[in-house]
Amino acid sequence: MAPRTVAPFGPQHPVLPEPIQLKITYEDEKVVNVVPALGYGHRGIEKACEINDYPKNIHLCERICGICSCIHGISYCEVVERLWPMEIPPRAKYLRTIWSEMSRTHSHLLWLGLLADALGFESMFMQFWRIREKVLDLLEMTTGTRVTHSVSVVGGVRRDINDEQKKICIRTLQEVRKEAEALINVLATDPTVKARTVGKGVLTKEQAIMLGNNGPHLRASGVKEDCRMEGMQAYGELGFEPIVETDGDCYARTLVRARETLQAIDLQLEAFSKMPEGEIYVRPKGSPPANEAVFRSEQPRGECFYYAKGNGTRNLERLRVRTPTFANIPSLLVMLPGSELADVPVIVLSIDPCISCTER
Amino acid sequence: MIENLKEISKDTLLQEVQKFADAKARFVTTVCSDLGDKLEVTYFFNYSPGMDMVALRMVVGKDEEVPSISGIYLTAVLSENEMFEQFGLKVKDMAIDFGGLMFLAKDSPVKPMVKDNAAGGKGGE
Repeated sequence: MAPRTVAPFGPQHPVLPEPIQLKITYEDEKVVNVVPALGYGHRGIEKACEINDYPKNIHLCERICGICSCIHGISYCEVVERLWPMEIPPRAKYLRTIWSEMSRTHSHLLWLGLLADALGFESMFMQFWRIREKVLDLLEMTTGTRVTHSVSVVGGVRRDINDEQKKICIRTLQEVRKEAEALINVLATDPTVKARTVGKGVLTKEQAIMLGNNGPHLRASGVKEDCRMEGMQAYGELGFEPIVETDGDCYARTLVRARETLQAIDLQLEAFSKMPEGEIYVRPKGSPPANEAVFRSEQPRGECFYYAKGNGTRNLERLRVRTPTFANIPSLLVMLPGSELADVPVIVLSIDPCISCTER
Repeated sequence: MIENLKEISKDTLLQEVQKFADAKARFVTTVCSDLGDKLEVTYFFNYSPGMDMVALRMVVGKDEEVPSISGIYLTAVLSENEMFEQFGLKVKDMAIDFGGLMFLAKDSPVKPMVKDNAAGGKGGE
């Protein structure tokens, strides 16, 4: 038997934009065991959300993650609105949907670029990130900022999209879709990409469910589950259908995210065409009542679970956030053992890990 | 209000969770809350395929030990470690025990999510 070696993967590694360490035990070139080490970015945001009054928590929740900041802010507002419960204006629902799908578009483009980079496909990495910039420009134009948008408030949204901005958004999204589709066709058919992803990190449907996977990671194993199926915001009026692949490997996860990128653009275009005129905000009455509520949003990385408990004051009694990567990390303990050491980076990347989200 | 919530005791926890595993339900997460002299622990599951969520809830004393469900759902191991280090909830037989150092460091505040443990001032005031 060959000697076993323990090697740290991270916390600093080219495929990890944020710090997590995997203590990998391997024999020859085969991984035999993995133990995750977390705690490099814990900020105690749940505790901070009990100390601040409820409107200020929007800004805290948006800082859980830079990539999903918009949907974190929206999710927080949605769960707090369910404490009354209160209904927000239809136009605000459409605006939240549009900004959510813009976030998904730029997040998936970011991930596709990271995948290309991990495979050594540097020109494709740059192309994906080049077109991603156009989406960030749209977010900046419509929300005022590129990363933490602070556009959602309890009761609706803070800004509207005017007709001129709408025209620019539609024109730019059509361009982005065309360019993304061309790149995705290359990525999906490239022999090197396939050699590095097909059959790697396989999870069956049953494994994916029992490991609590969610998001594209779960749907790539053939499970049709997506929080948008619940029809929140404007999704119920947009004919949304989850994208599912069945092979459960890194290639299937790539295809799900690639197809979701194009789908997210289509959803935005449809939302722009159906968005009703009207108010964008209703003022909440008093403080959140003594009640508890749950809201699940579909972030780019998967299901994000928000739980809020009110106590009749302006402070929440409890806020719990379970982010997608928090639930997807344990699947690495099953996918990595038995794999080649050289495949570890791509398998880790295939769950689209967001450690900032995970540690909050 | 949480829909589809079932109150249970810690003695029946594993039995109830096993029913979800037998039904191929997906574990979503746990939520722990400090009630003062007790802790409230809620386990959320999702029936796959679809988005129907159900919950189990138990209230335990702060010194009580509860069984780990990570033997049934491995993915619960991070939530259980988090409840231990943030609230002091003792969880027996976790598949991986980070010893209270999963997110926190040795010099971090102890059980920071417990209500009477101050986190350091009033934010923004």
